[in-house]
Amino acid sequence: MTRDEIFAKVVEIVKPYVKNEDALVAVGDDTNILEDLKVNSARLVDIILNFEDEFDIEVEDEDADAVNTVGDAVALIQEKLA
Amino acid sequence: MPEVRFLTRLSFRTRSAHAFQRGVGHLTAFFWVLAIVFILRVLMRYRIRDVAGVRSRYRTLLKETDRPLLICPNHLTMIDSAVIAWALGGSWWYLFHYSRIPWNLPEYNNYASQWPARVGAWLTKCIPVIRGGRREDVSRVIRRVQHLLSRGETALIFPEARRSRSGRVEPNAVAHAVGRILTSVPGCQPLCVYLRGDRQQTWSTAPARGDSFYIDFELVEPKSDHSGMRRSRDFSQQIVDRLVGMEEEYFARR
Repeated sequence: MTRDEIFAKVVEIVKPYVKNEDALVAVGDDTNILEDLKVNSARLVDIILNFEDEFDIEVEDEDADAVNTVGDAVALIQEKLA
Repeated sequence: MPEVRFLTRLSFRTRSAHAFQRGVGHLTAFFWVLAIVFILRVLMRYRIRDVAGVRSRYRTLLKETDRPLLICPNHLTMIDSAVIAWALGGSWWYLFHYSRIPWNLPEYNNYASQWPARVGAWLTKCIPVIRGGRREDVSRVIRRVQHLLSRGETALIFPEARRSRSGRVEPNAVAHAVGRILTSVPGCQPLCVYLRGDRQQTWSTAPARGDSFYIDFELVEPKSDHSGMRRSRDFSQQIVDRLVGMEEEYFARR
């Protein structure tokens, strides 16, 4: 799976939890999931569990601590898939 | 069964800060423990139903287990943790069992604006947390709780993400941190606590003056076939589900 495909999937998974939909228009690697997209912090766990299902990976709590931006999420998934 | 990992990656500085906070709190406990009990019992005129029986049960439970204990109560008011600690232990007992006064994780923004409140929170075994804050900061707080539990301390954390807006335990409001702590501290056992004042209809800052509290508690053993975050999530959910069950028992008895 290419990085762009992972990125697109990540955005698709995050989308239902986003409160600031305007920020989705210009979403990029540096977009902060909590601060820019205004995702509820409690929902971040649901998002990461969705990553597990979608990409068939397993994420540890400590791995999830590194996920602040969309780019962080893509990097984590790439690392798990490698 | 998935491997349970234990993480206590605290810096020397943080561990020293904990030791200092605990030491000063312990030295001054005679004053602040009695002051809190005075406020709860005399000024607020709160009463715990069958307080002797509750404390006896709690002490028996502690004698039967030497595992790290994480108290997981329902959450309706901002002083739940103080009422629960008072109900379970009692002032004199805590003076001789200081490690049993639970560490608490209050929302920093609830008290940060006044320095006496910050000093008071520091003395009374509080670790501030900013709800919805940066993940690294929340993670640091969780590591601190893991460290304390591993040292034989007791901690209290609300498994609902906030005070229940409906006045009932909300099964969909689950704080992931509870499961995360339980899965990362070997042997850590959750003690589900259900507390409710007779006049408590919904969430509030504090219970009504003169209220009488029902309290029940139960050790639970969460289980999960999963690992990683899903295991932590399963644990958190089972704790909240048990609190829902305890609440149903409470209302059935009324």
